[in-house]
Amino acid sequence: MIEVKEIKKRFGRKKVLEGVSFDAKKGEITCLIGINGVGKTTVLNAIMNLTPLNSGQILIDGERINKNSYEKITFIPDAVTMLPRMKVADAIQFMRDFYQSWNDERASELLEFFRLNEEDRISDLSKGNAAKVNLLLGLALDVDYLLMDEPFSGIDIFSREQIAEVFTSHLVEDRGVIITTHEINDIEHLIDKVILLDNGNVLKDFRTEVMRAEEGKSVVDVLREVYKK
Amino acid sequence: MKVKFNNRDPVYVQVIQHFKQQIAAGLMEPGQEVPSRRELAGRLKINPNTAQRAYKEMEEEGLIYTERNLPSKITRDEKILGAVREELMLEAVENFITSVQSINAPLDEVVELIQKKYKEKEAGEGGSHD
Repeated sequence: MIEVKEIKKRFGRKKVLEGVSFDAKKGEITCLIGINGVGKTTVLNAIMNLTPLNSGQILIDGERINKNSYEKITFIPDAVTMLPRMKVADAIQFMRDFYQSWNDERASELLEFFRLNEEDRISDLSKGNAAKVNLLLGLALDVDYLLMDEPFSGIDIFSREQIAEVFTSHLVEDRGVIITTHEINDIEHLIDKVILLDNGNVLKDFRTEVMRAEEGKSVVDVLREVYKK
Repeated sequence: MKVKFNNRDPVYVQVIQHFKQQIAAGLMEPGQEVPSRRELAGRLKINPNTAQRAYKEMEEEGLIYTERNLPSKITRDEKILGAVREELMLEAVENFITSVQSINAPLDEVVELIQKKYKEKEAGEGGSHD
């Protein structure tokens, strides 16, 4: 389990996180949604220890993040971070050399699932295929937790559908996922839990099925209500 | 297998409803194997945890059963199967009554109309349609 406890973060005078707490379990998909844009990526960066916090604590399976954590958790940014002239195969080779947790079998499965060509250059990929390569490079790692920053942003509907489909498969199953997205419609039925951030605070923290059962509201309904206020 | 999910009811409830409809319509037969939870999640594009939840509830209701490590199957219990059919019919009729009562339609007129339309539909399904 990833436990985020009362984390606070300021950039200069600007308070970005004002005491954010939530947890994300293995085998579940937790969706971070931000009303005003700020905060989500900072939370993901904080979990990866990429940004120092002013206060608060983050635990992964009960431990503070350390060197070993990086074999347990991975961050998939919202764009490919490989050099544009690399081929997809080169990017895969790079990951294979760099990470012990790289899983070749899963990588081949993902190549097939996304119908990607290893010989394509990163710079020649369509936006949709670039997003898929980006996801592949993260998903092929044998890690317990995956953090995904806006995996659906700026890509066509069919690529989004294909990416959403990954979440229902064994390629993601049993792992803990924290995802940030604006495209709730694509994953409404895929997520277990929603953490709604507003002005650096957690405004709502709910399980989607419980919300539907008890209040008859979808995630979009809840968001609509919040936006109206 | 395709299900159009609404946004009001829990997804697992809608999945169970879908299975009941399939059973009542005879599209899923007694003793027929059901997809694994992962397969179901993939086909319906839902969370595998939700598929698991639906199967757990259906197992508790006796709609499906699992022997040892074999795939789960639709029940052969006539009583349960009959109850599913009855439940769905009752639900449909209740919804119907609610809508005709809201426009104060008299019962005898409604019954007559049902019979007429029902026959028309049945005839229409066999032959050509307009």
